[in-house]
Amino acid sequence: MTSLLDTPPLGLLDSIRGNRAKRPRRDLTSAAGLRATLDDELFALWGDAVFDTPLVVRASSLRRGPATALSTHPLAQVRGVLVHQTLRLLSVGAPLERPFDDALGAWRCEVGNNDLLAFVDTLDAEERARLASAVGAHAQTLARALGPLGGRWLPRTGVRASQRLGGGNVIVRDAVDLMVGSTTTSEASVALLDVTTAPLDENAERSMRYHALVQTLRTTTVPLRTSAFSTATGELWSHDVDVALLRRALDELVEAVRGLWSPS
Amino acid sequence: MTTLLHRRCSPSALDEVIATAPESSAILSEAHRHSLSSRFRAVATTEHRAIDAWMVEHGGRPHDVFAWSPAMTRRTLANAALRRVRAHDVGVLDALKEEIDELLVRAAAGYSRSGSLASWLTQLSSPARAAVLAEATSWTSQLVEITTPITHAWSVAVADAHYDVAQARTSLRGRRDLIVEGPHGRVVVRVRGGAPGKSAGPGLRADLTVDALRDLEGRPSTRYVGLWPEAGVLLCVDGTMDDLRAGARDLVRSAVAWRRHRVSVAA
Repeated sequence: MTSLLDTPPLGLLDSIRGNRAKRPRRDLTSAAGLRATLDDELFALWGDAVFDTPLVVRASSLRRGPATALSTHPLAQVRGVLVHQTLRLLSVGAPLERPFDDALGAWRCEVGNNDLLAFVDTLDAEERARLASAVGAHAQTLARALGPLGGRWLPRTGVRASQRLGGGNVIVRDAVDLMVGSTTTSEASVALLDVTTAPLDENAERSMRYHALVQTLRTTTVPLRTSAFSTATGELWSHDVDVALLRRALDELVEAVRGLWSPS
Repeated sequence: MTTLLHRRCSPSALDEVIATAPESSAILSEAHRHSLSSRFRAVATTEHRAIDAWMVEHGGRPHDVFAWSPAMTRRTLANAALRRVRAHDVGVLDALKEEIDELLVRAAAGYSRSGSLASWLTQLSSPARAAVLAEATSWTSQLVEITTPITHAWSVAVADAHYDVAQARTSLRGRRDLIVEGPHGRVVVRVRGGAPGKSAGPGLRADLTVDALRDLEGRPSTRYVGLWPEAGVLLCVDGTMDDLRAGARDLVRSAVAWRRHRVSVAA
């Protein structure tokens, strides 16, 4: 049977941004409470001690399950970086004729030389072809799902955040793959998107919550939605950001800090 | 006593610090300029030196060798694009594409020097140029976010503030991105990546001092605002005489440290 749609299917970002008329009002008050709660929780851990070296928390610090060192899987790491580069190129409407070569060219321009790029250069023809084919497949899934990006949505890629907490003893770092929307509108409109080459799991959900919390602390504005998209499965998970979600992210962050900190 | 105001970067925070800028600022006289000049002359050098807030923050360490990269281009492109966005009401991406196209045309017409941004852009492949565009898009969008809530008249700074210290082979550079007409005079805003370090205050004071020196009447901005969007932090210093003195002192100290560094490298 052939079925025809009345309207074209929604792109990834259209579905994340949702119906504008149904967006909640911008929340500017929760951030201060969350920061105060975080500082209280951290104070309860070590009081007024000042560390020589601050603890650094990243989204990966919140992962559960057996830890896998990325250095032992450089191919997977390279694939992830190249898919991220693909997202950056797509965000500015660049045509992707040869996704692997284009992403590699963009990456090389960005970082110059590093160990991972040197690793790519040492790959033999067969390994390189395999990597190019994997990147091509992931890029195609991403390009098909993403659709065109509206210029007025203020798309930002690789948005970094760094927050000092607990009297400077903890540095919370984060990087969101794609952010759209503005913190200056009267209704919440910022949507965060994390793109991963792995299937979505519980850890992806923790990362989504972490991104929402860190962006709330950074901008003092609660985002509208936090999402994760897997280029391996084409699956999209999306959550509306509310105080309950942020509170849960806060608990997970404190738990991660507890795991990193060893009283001596 | 010097000033240093710290604020979290809420959407209205920048407008608030502009609105609450002090009513008056100190004025640098000719005597101040002569005094500063003699202090720089006392730190002898055989080559020209350029000092800025970055060097003040890094204890006089000279800059690394400059090389263009998407991150290095973003500020230049974003400020130019923001000017276009304001003037022609175009989108961020369109403004940046126009700006890059204009640079490429300039390079093709032979109006750009070797090593300039325009000439570097011509050497790039299409994906690499798209990476430049993506980086600049993110930075410009961030600037649009920052400037949207400003209720005072503002403009994008055409260039950084420069001041050549007389007979001291020294030029001072003050970084500035936005110039706002505050209620009691101009307020300068500079936007930086990363997070402010312990010496961010001295860096701001150095920029404030250069801003006052480049003014014909020696009048500094009433408030100098440093904005670190990644850290969500605003730091401000006011145009008081104590802040100007501290800024000048740090610039001279950087010149001393710079000379020590050069001497140790030569040895």
